[in-house]
Amino acid sequence: MSWTAHLTSFDRRWIYLLIALSVILPMFFPVSFPERVTEQTRSVYDAMEALPEGSTIMIPFEIWPSTLPETEPLARAAVRHAFMRNFKIVSLSNIGAGGPSITERVLREEGDAFGKIYGVDYVNLGFKANYLAVLTGMGTSIRSIYPTDHSGTPLDSLPIMQTVDRYDDVQFVFAISDNATIEYWISIVGARFGAKIGAGVTAVMAPKLFAYLDAGQLVGILGGMKGGAEYEKLINRPEWATRGMGAQSLVHLVIIAFIVLGNIGFIASRRNKAAE
Amino acid sequence: MMRGPIPVAVAFLAGIFMVISFFSTNPAIERVSGDFLNWVSIVSGFTILLGVVSIAHANWSKIQRRKEGWPYAVVLRVFRAGMLVSGFSEGVETGTVYDWLFTNLQAPMMTTMFSMLAFFIASAAYRAFRARTLQATLLLVTAIIVMLGRIPVGQAINSNLPDVTNWIMAVPNMAAQRGIIIGAALGAAATALRIILGLERTYMGRG
Repeated sequence: MSWTAHLTSFDRRWIYLLIALSVILPMFFPVSFPERVTEQTRSVYDAMEALPEGSTIMIPFEIWPSTLPETEPLARAAVRHAFMRNFKIVSLSNIGAGGPSITERVLREEGDAFGKIYGVDYVNLGFKANYLAVLTGMGTSIRSIYPTDHSGTPLDSLPIMQTVDRYDDVQFVFAISDNATIEYWISIVGARFGAKIGAGVTAVMAPKLFAYLDAGQLVGILGGMKGGAEYEKLINRPEWATRGMGAQSLVHLVIIAFIVLGNIGFIASRRNKAAE
Repeated sequence: MMRGPIPVAVAFLAGIFMVISFFSTNPAIERVSGDFLNWVSIVSGFTILLGVVSIAHANWSKIQRRKEGWPYAVVLRVFRAGMLVSGFSEGVETGTVYDWLFTNLQAPMMTTMFSMLAFFIASAAYRAFRARTLQATLLLVTAIIVMLGRIPVGQAINSNLPDVTNWIMAVPNMAAQRGIIIGAALGAAATALRIILGLERTYMGRG
């Protein structure tokens, strides 16, 4: 077999092995690089910083368990920032399979770390079926859609909900999403009800949202692990996302290396054929 | 009767009412549209139940006929029953059996399945990303710039890479995405109009 043929026909198991090592090795030997903060991440941070202390914000967790490694770090970074500023957080999820559990876990853990009390500083409204109806209905009355929280406690008995019953009562919405619901937060909650929206999404979704960012319908975007790492840098608490960027960097480099090798082989074999 | 004029009239009236309520701030209209939305949420809840019943039926017939992979169907039935019983018996809050099952079984399994993508994407990129034509070469070069620009190493290689990446995302990418979004929105609006006017009746089980 010629060298060009070798370059174009690596056994895929070698690729799998290198990808696995690229993910595993940075866990044992952390690699960190200086992170440059993009404009779209800084915009979310600035929007949160511009709110007065004690403001109420809404953080919907529209995420499936499958994307947690990418979305949870940025979710935690945003929740930490909110608690650092003493914001009150109203949370919910339109993902029935696990959304409320993820919301509960992240809010409880971060809430405990900051000494926040459930029902006073944050609340998890849980899941209700049909996100279009839920998002539209909450514009009129959150209580009409969620008479109780995730645990079945009536909203009227929770101190945090005494001043909140519609989008007008929250000062900012930071929607964390790994699916199309983010577009409904923008087009229904943002466009129709006038709420200020920031988005935390998977990296693969971020390119689509640039159209909304340019139109002013979105304040900013945290895109995937990188968005989370940038946000952690801004709040000066480098944690999960910052650590994850080492693995992501190596994986990107491995993929690029294989693409380049494959193309060198491809171009060389094409020249050989032309010469023959 | 249920495929005749009555459902079409209901769809027409409900559709027109919801369009009006979108633009209205009248409290009475808001209250009625709120009720409508609650009904939608309740009906949607029943569609989830339909999904549960459907998967139960499909798995049961698979087990009965000993089709290929039937033991997996048994595992699915056992764990689904476990989630149902634990969820209904003590709730779904933190610290419950349901929450434990979700956090320690379901979430890691879903995450594992999704993480497989990294391996397949790497393999597929190596095999498919070839500079065969000018367009393919442009896509290839753009992908490499964006992949490098999205990691801190890219910035170390060339400090302008993140800026170039941002420009690609904010200008050519955004223009293409905007076209797609506008096209899809027009299509959705046209479909909604066809349903309201009774021209689109596939939701009743026929064209």
